[in-house]
Amino acid sequence: MLWYKSWLDTRWRFIIGFALCVGGAWLAVFGYPRVTRLIALSPAVDVTTEVGRRLHDIVELSRGFRGYIWVQWFRQSMVQSVTLLAILLGSGGVVTHGGGELYTLSLPVSREQLLYTRAAVGLTELLLIAFVPSLVIALMSPAIGEHFSVVSALVHATCLFITCAAFFSLALLLSTSYSDVWRPMLITAAVGLVLSLAEAVNPTVAQFGVYKLMSGETYFRFGRVPWPGLVVALAVSGGLIVAAAANVSRRDY
Amino acid sequence: MADAYVIEAVDLRKVYGDIQALNGLNLQVPAGSIFGFLGRNGAGKTTTIKALLGMTRPTGGSARVFGLAVNEPAASVEIRRRTGFVSEDKDLYDSMTVADLIGFTRPFFPRWRSDLEAKYLRAFELPGERKVKTLSRGTRTKLALLLALCRGAELLVLDEPTSGLDPAMTEEVLQALVAHVSSEAMTIFFSSHQIAEVDQIADRIAIIDRGRTVVSGVLDDLRESYRRVQLVFAGDAPAAAFHAPGVVRVRRERRVLSVLCCDGAEQVVDEARTLHPVSVNVTPVTLKEIFLETVVGAED
Repeated sequence: MLWYKSWLDTRWRFIIGFALCVGGAWLAVFGYPRVTRLIALSPAVDVTTEVGRRLHDIVELSRGFRGYIWVQWFRQSMVQSVTLLAILLGSGGVVTHGGGELYTLSLPVSREQLLYTRAAVGLTELLLIAFVPSLVIALMSPAIGEHFSVVSALVHATCLFITCAAFFSLALLLSTSYSDVWRPMLITAAVGLVLSLAEAVNPTVAQFGVYKLMSGETYFRFGRVPWPGLVVALAVSGGLIVAAAANVSRRDY
Repeated sequence: MADAYVIEAVDLRKVYGDIQALNGLNLQVPAGSIFGFLGRNGAGKTTTIKALLGMTRPTGGSARVFGLAVNEPAASVEIRRRTGFVSEDKDLYDSMTVADLIGFTRPFFPRWRSDLEAKYLRAFELPGERKVKTLSRGTRTKLALLLALCRGAELLVLDEPTSGLDPAMTEEVLQALVAHVSSEAMTIFFSSHQIAEVDQIADRIAIIDRGRTVVSGVLDDLRESYRRVQLVFAGDAPAAAFHAPGVVRVRRERRVLSVLCCDGAEQVVDEARTLHPVSVNVTPVTLKEIFLETVVGAED
């Protein structure tokens, strides 16, 4: 029954985030015909600057449906929104959230059990947020006469889920030290922002960057699943959750 | 003899930063007793309860509940499985309904008493579909009590169970506790700073002050052994020091010398007569007087 308490604590964040992502996937698919018309009308982009080169890359990729979905959805919308949702789902006191702190602690369960249940519920919600909208893309594409493979959707969703799980786990670890929602959320968001800026200004960092991994860029461009990066992200995420369990078990309430 | 005591703490210590919350607390709660744990606000009552239930870690000494060490995680889970608990704030899950919260709690306790659940739902008139956050203080207390009593627990730990309740509700809660313990074999350990309610239902007490036990024992024995010896003099009372055993406090005010003793009054009276008072009166003392003299009086 601990899962039920964790579900109650996080359900509105999940439901709203899930609905927005599914709605966004729907709009992304059905917005494509309009995008193709706009691209046909767009003027030539000056490619002598870095910004111009990036814009040109986006326009060129968006001429095909697969490229459009990757650029607009997996590299932009989902990277931003799932990162944010992962932080929201991970934030909030593991024992203290939603009231009843001492009631929770009076139950005959270990604190590790509390933490791992909270992590399992949050990660399941994150999994649904990463996979269901991605599958909506693949399943709705034929409705506009396009195709996006289910396998590609699953690979991109896997990259999103595993990488965002690291942000979730960091927020969860911080939530074992802070009893409020805001500090874990803001600190994790700040970490995400710093990583994002570092990737934006430094090509070497971007090469091995977390957001590149999250978008599944190597799979899109070269058909290679980024296994080493995913394994590292899994290890980081697991390490943070174990650290969170150790932290929550030694705390005084 | 370990099993004779449901709760046993020896030299228990807890430090929060610069604050010594427990300072060598000793406690022995026999099985089957209704044990009143008295102390002023901030004396260390809640910290003791939290330490016993594994919510906070003692920094020194030892404590056992059912013979299990409170600082061992697996033992602590077992202690909580056999213990019902009501916190001072009646802190429950606000987002659940009464029925949801009961349904949530039930699976954690293999010995959950469905018969008591039905009984107390009726007796306390708890509205199953109401959200916990909409309940009044009194109804919330009743719900917390139901959740603790139905666990099939051998020990009930109550932290200020009647705090914030009006006198009628306080009486209802106390009567429910007494009725429950008379029909079920269990131990009740409850903290309070309300002397009247401890006096009403407890058979044993401990008074703590600044993290230490200052008085402990069977309530009737304490009432029997504590006496006030009052000496009245013709002029101002002399500044006398008493050497008889069991002298707790001596107060001098103009013509009156008042001696509180905890070990019978005979030797104090014998010693007092050597001071040639006009009169000597020996009177029994109330729990309130014992509390005030040992806790508040200790600051003088």
